[in-house]
Amino acid sequence: MGRKKRYFAVVEFFLIVLVCLVCLFPIVWIVLISVKPVTESMMGISAIIPKGFTLENYKRVLKLIPNLPVNFFNNVFVSLVGTVSTLFFCSLAGFAFAKYEFPGRNFLYLFLLATMMIPQETGVIPLFIIFRKMGLVNSLWGLIIPRLATAVGIFYMTEYMRDVPYEIMEAARMDGCSEFMIYARIVCPIIKPGLASWAMLTMIARWNDFFWPLILLRNSKKYTLMVAISLLPASDGLSTPWPTIMAGVSIAVFPVLIAYIIIQRFQVVNVAAGAVKG
Amino acid sequence: MVGSNKIRKWIKKYKTPYLFISPFFILFLLFQLVPMVQSFYYSFTEFDGMHTPEFTGLKNYRNLFKTGNYAFWDSLENTVIYWMVCSFFIIVFAFGVALLLNREKLKGKAFIKTAAFLPYVCASIAIALVFNMLFDHNSGLINDILSRLGFEKIGWLTTSKFARIPVIILFCWRSIPWYSIIILSGLLSIPADYYEAATIDGGNVIQKFFYITVPLMRNVLFFCLITTTGDTWKMFNESYILKGPAYSNATLFQYMYENAFKLFDLGYAAAIGYILAMVMMAISAAQFIFRRKQGNND
Repeated sequence: MGRKKRYFAVVEFFLIVLVCLVCLFPIVWIVLISVKPVTESMMGISAIIPKGFTLENYKRVLKLIPNLPVNFFNNVFVSLVGTVSTLFFCSLAGFAFAKYEFPGRNFLYLFLLATMMIPQETGVIPLFIIFRKMGLVNSLWGLIIPRLATAVGIFYMTEYMRDVPYEIMEAARMDGCSEFMIYARIVCPIIKPGLASWAMLTMIARWNDFFWPLILLRNSKKYTLMVAISLLPASDGLSTPWPTIMAGVSIAVFPVLIAYIIIQRFQVVNVAAGAVKG
Repeated sequence: MVGSNKIRKWIKKYKTPYLFISPFFILFLLFQLVPMVQSFYYSFTEFDGMHTPEFTGLKNYRNLFKTGNYAFWDSLENTVIYWMVCSFFIIVFAFGVALLLNREKLKGKAFIKTAAFLPYVCASIAIALVFNMLFDHNSGLINDILSRLGFEKIGWLTTSKFARIPVIILFCWRSIPWYSIIILSGLLSIPADYYEAATIDGGNVIQKFFYITVPLMRNVLFFCLITTTGDTWKMFNESYILKGPAYSNATLFQYMYENAFKLFDLGYAAAIGYILAMVMMAISAAQFIFRRKQGNND
């Protein structure tokens, strides 16, 4: 029995190491290549071994994409404003679905869930034309407004809010608290973990968003980071050196990666996953 | 006047919740329902986005399903392959990772959990550029390892036979962390007494897995399957950057994008979009019906 257990532990250890390696390898690769002088060999395994160290590649990316700082700011703007606004509208709707009785509530909630099955992207062509009419093409608001209140977000918020006790709300109502104040001052603080976890996930998704920025933003000053770096391989003919591309990639990946590592000790993502229990 | 009084009272009583949920329904109407109806009309027209759409009946759909239309059939085939292969690998590997993370005596759990989630945080566009380098025919790491092991170099993104593989690996790499967290939270909700009872009855690890874990995880796994289905049919970023020859690894969604925003054949693209939506809804409906039937047998 003892030997079997030890054997099991060894296999487990190797599996864990393997999982960590597979997960971290491409990220480490980005860093290693992005600080490599262009003159060094990029052939296969030899590319990993660090010899020289240079920040030249980062300078070159800035030269290749002169609007990169603007693009970076666009990404920050879309992610922050998008996350805060969607959090507000989703939690407000979730509050109504979870804590109010009103005619048609169950039907409307089911309807909302059913809309998740309709892929929004299939209406992309008329949507683009609507955006053009509304002046939302080439505007960062075009990435924010249509997603102010999403079905998934409302679903998560509703599920979190179900556990908030009615008694607290009733007590506040007795004290003359308005309905919006009950939401803002009483319910939101209680579901803070839920809000934080949904905020983190939305932030990741918005930061990494590619398809909508690609079709909506048609001016290099308006690009988000993802659109800007997607053009990197072709921007210098066919010969953009790999280290330069990796420098661009690291600018796109690391801000959100670092934000996640700082915030994750609050176990934020686990809270979101906990809402899905069939 | 009694009637209007009643209405006023009704409004007063219910206006708050309706007000709170109204943003979603307004946005849904404006940015989802209207485009869907319009898209339906466009799919029967010839439309370049500038001039008024010209009604052409079923022409777009006929052109789409023509046997010689390789671009469409290839991207449809690729999408179906991505759907099946990625869903399978994602759920199997995510389950495996979740089981590893669920071990109580795991050392450095916090670090491993963080590390194992990082791929989900990385942008698929960014990692696709990394994969372009790793899978490069001449200087890529993968081919270098293969040739050092005595195999021949493979044209991952230069031959149509292999072009789907990097796309599949990238998609799974980025998706597995998210699903393993969902599955892990399902595993944590299984009461420990179930396993204790099984141990007392002399059940071994494998029996416990198949008789306790899997049946209790059915709902969670079903949720995962529904979401991987949606995600794979909408796949775009991965194959957009990891371009293979012609349509060898393009998705249906990408085919729609190219017709709409590169060739400006909006009517034709709308038809592709409709086919895509129909297939996705049919698959989801089939999965729900299948699930309900199974539920009755339990």
